Amino acid sequence: MIKPAAPPAPADPASAAIPAPPAAPAPALPKVLEQIDWASKHYLIVDDFAGIRQLLRESLRSLGARNIDQASSGGEAMNLLNKVRYDVVLCDYNLGEGKNGQQVLEEARIRQLLLPSSVFVMVSAEKSVESVMGAAEHQPDAYLVKPITEGVLLSRLNRVWRRKQIFRLIDQAFVEKDYLRAAQLCDEQIATNRVHVIELLRMKARMLERSGQPARARMVYEQVLAQREYHWARAGLGKIRLADGDFEQARQMFQTVIAENRHYIDAYDQLAHAYQGLGRHEEAAAILERAAKLSPNSVPRQRNLGQAALKLGNVALAEKAFRKCLVIGEYSIRKTPDAYLGLARVCGLKNNTKDALQLLLLAQRDFGSEHDDMALRAKITEGLIYHESGDYRNARRAGDELDTMLGADPKRPGTAICIEMATLLFAVGVKETPGEVLAHVVRNNHDNNLLQDDIQAIFDKARLTEEGAAIIRAARKEAVDLMNQGVVLWKTGKLPEAVKWMRMASERLPDNVRVLFNAVQITISHMQQCGYDEALEAEARTLLEHVDRLQPGQQRFAQLMEQLRGLQPKPEPEPPAVVAEGEAETPAPEPVEPSEPAATPARNNRFS
Amino acid sequence: MEDSPHSPELFLFLAVTAHDMKNSISVLSGTLERLLDGATPETEKAYAQMGQMLYQTRRLNDNLMQLLALYKQVGKPGYPFDAQPLEVGQVVEQVVALARVLLEARGVQLELYVDPDLIAHVDEDLIVGVVSHAVNNALHYTRDRIRLAAREVDGELEIRVEDNGAGFPPALLAAGTPDGSDMGVNFVTNSAGLGLYFSSEVARMHHHRGRHGAVRLENGGLLGGGCFILTLP
Repeated sequence: MIKPAAPPAPADPASAAIPAPPAAPAPALPKVLEQIDWASKHYLIVDDFAGIRQLLRESLRSLGARNIDQASSGGEAMNLLNKVRYDVVLCDYNLGEGKNGQQVLEEARIRQLLLPSSVFVMVSAEKSVESVMGAAEHQPDAYLVKPITEGVLLSRLNRVWRRKQIFRLIDQAFVEKDYLRAAQLCDEQIATNRVHVIELLRMKARMLERSGQPARARMVYEQVLAQREYHWARAGLGKIRLADGDFEQARQMFQTVIAENRHYIDAYDQLAHAYQGLGRHEEAAAILERAAKLSPNSVPRQRNLGQAALKLGNVALAEKAFRKCLVIGEYSIRKTPDAYLGLARVCGLKNNTKDALQLLLLAQRDFGSEHDDMALRAKITEGLIYHESGDYRNARRAGDELDTMLGADPKRPGTAICIEMATLLFAVGVKETPGEVLAHVVRNNHDNNLLQDDIQAIFDKARLTEEGAAIIRAARKEAVDLMNQGVVLWKTGKLPEAVKWMRMASERLPDNVRVLFNAVQITISHMQQCGYDEALEAEARTLLEHVDRLQPGQQRFAQLMEQLRGLQPKPEPEPPAVVAEGEAETPAPEPVEPSEPAATPARNNRFS
Repeated sequence: MEDSPHSPELFLFLAVTAHDMKNSISVLSGTLERLLDGATPETEKAYAQMGQMLYQTRRLNDNLMQLLALYKQVGKPGYPFDAQPLEVGQVVEQVVALARVLLEARGVQLELYVDPDLIAHVDEDLIVGVVSHAVNNALHYTRDRIRLAAREVDGELEIRVEDNGAGFPPALLAAGTPDGSDMGVNFVTNSAGLGLYFSSEVARMHHHRGRHGAVRLENGGLLGGGCFILTLP
C-alpha cells in the first residue's frame, strides 16, 4: 500500500457513523458532492432497454438534473451527439443491432462531438476485456458494471469529475501535441496530488515517449515498477526496447506481461511487432490471432492480422480476418479501405477475379472521397491481382493505366504505397515511371540508408542496377542541396529568403522529415527576430503535424512545438523585440552533411 | 472465450440472459430503493415488507454476480482482472451507497472507521462486490449495529465488517479459516458458502510480491458478533 503524504480531507471516524433512521440524512456522501453542480448539466442516456433508461433518468432527476436526453440505439445516439454537446453520456456497451457503445465512443471522439470536459461512462453487463486498461485505444472515462445503483453511479461520477479537473490542463496540452508542457504539468500535479500519482506517472511516461525521450520515459516506468508490478509499466519498458531494436528483450517483457495478465491486449500487439522484428513472422501472426480471439471487435487488429497472414501466404486466415474487419467496420468510424483491398487480394489468390474487382469498386465508392490515393491504390491492387494470377496481359493493361494516372497527377502517395507501386510497374514491364516514383521516395528519405538499399534491390531485380544507382545518387543530392541552401541562407542572416526557400523545399520534398523540421526551425528563427506572425505560425504547425503523422515520437517535434508555443504573443502584445544578430541564442536548423565551417557556433545551443 | 469448454452458442445465450437479468434486477432494486427512500414506517404500511423485498433483491443480485464471476473464472488467469490504485474511502463510499436504504429500512446503524489516507490496489468492481456482500450478510445477522473498518496492518490493507448478532455458526467459521480453502462447504445446504468461496477467490487474485489477499471469519470483534475480515497486500 502507498501511504500518501498529503491526506485528502479526512473524515473523523467517530463522526462518520451513520445515524439510525428515521433521522437519516444521506450518510457518508463525499464532500465534493455539494461542489459539483450535477443539476445544470446536460445528460445523454443510451440503452436499448427502456427499463434501464427510465431507471437512469430517475437517478439523474434525483440529482436535480433537468436536461436529460435518451437514445435507444447507437445511431440515435450519434444523431443527438451531433446536435448537442453533452456534459455526461451514460452509454450501454450492448446496443443490439447497429453501433455498439465502443463504436459510439470512438466516433464521438474522432469527430470531436464531445467536449474535453465531457464525461463518457460505459455501462456493461459484465466486466469486459475491453475495460482492462490498454485494450481499447479510445477509453471511456469510467466503466460501470450492471446492475447500476444510484449511489454507485453518483460516486463514480464524482470521482471522474475530480479526475477530469486534475487532468484538464494535461489533456489540453496533449491534444495540442505540446508533449513537453504536458509532461511538466504531470510533474506539477504529482507534487501536490498523491492519490493520482501512479496515473500521472503513466501519463508523464507517455508524454516523454511522444516527445522522443525514451531514456527518461524508461526511468519513470522503472520508478513505478519499483513500487508495484504494473503491466502497463512493464509493457512500456518493452516498447522502448522495441523502438531500440532490442527485439529479444522486448519479446520477453511482453511475454511476462501476458503471462501475468492474459487480457492486456496491447502487449499482444507489441509482441507481434517484436516477433516481426526478429523475423519470426509465423509467430507474429499467431499472436495477432490470439489477440483477435480475445478482443475480436477491433478494426485495426483484424486488419493487421489479415495483412500479416497475407504476407505469410496464409490465405484462409487472411480471408477470415479481412471479412471480420468488414463486418465490424460496418458501423465503425474506423472502417478501413485496407480490409477491402486485402480481401480483394485474397479473392485474387483464390482465382476469383470477379469478386476481387467488385471489392475494388466498393473500396473506391466508400472511401474515394476521404482518401485521395484511393484510385491509385485500387489500381495497384488490380495489377497485383492479375499479375499473381498469371494474367500478364491484363496486368500490363492495369500497369499502363496506373502510368497514365501518375502522369496526370504529380502528387505521390506515402512511401510504402510508392514502393508497392514501383515494384508492380517494373513487374508488368513499365520502365520509366517506376524510376521516377522511386526517386521521389529517395528524395523524401535521403538519410535512410536501409530504405535506399531496398530501393536499389528493386532496381536490381528490374535489371536496372546502374541506372538505379544513378537515380538514387541524384535524388539524394537534390535533397541535400535543397537543405544546405536553406541553412546557408539562414546562417548569412537572410531570413525571409531562407523561409521562402524552405517553403519551396518542403513542397518539393513533402514527406522529408528533416527538411520539414528545418523549414519549421527557420520559420521560428524568423519570427524570433522579426516578430510573431500568425500565418507563419499556422504554416509551421501544419508542417509539424504532418511530420508527427509520418514519424511520431520525434524529439525535435516536441522541442519545436514548445518553441512555437513560446512565440505566441501574450495577452497584451508588445512590439517585437529587435535582437541584434549574433547575440540571440537562436536555435539553428540542423545542417545536413558536414558542410562548410559554421559561420555562427549555433549548434551548441541549438535547443537551449 | 478461448478456453471455455462450452459451446459458443451456449455461452452467448448465457451472456444475453445474464445481461437481461441484470437489467431486471437493476430496475427492481432501483424502484424499491426509491419507494423506500420516500417513505417511513408511519406513512407506508408495507415499509417492513418492502425492506425485506429489497434485501432479497440484493441477495439475488449478489448471487447472480458471484455466479457469473465464478463462471467467468474469477480466480483463474482467464478472468479480466484489473487492479488499480484507489482510495479506500472510494470503496467504502460505494459500499455505503449500496447499503444505505436497506440499512435505514432495517433500522441498522453502520459505523465507519476508515483511515482516509489509505490507497489500495484493487479490482474495484470485485472488491466493492465482496465488501457489500459482507455488509448485506451482516445485515441479516446483526441486532442493530454494523461496523465497517479499514486500516493498514503490517503493510497490508485490512477491511473488517463486524456486527453485534449471534456470530457465525461453527461450520462456517471452520470454512473461513486461512487453511480452510479446501473448505468442504456444501453449496447446496449452505448458501453462505458460495459467497465465502467467491470472496476468497477474489482476495487471492490480489497479490503483490508473493503475498496474496485472504478472507477469514471470526466471532467476537468489537461488537461481539460475527467478523468478516478481508486482507489485501
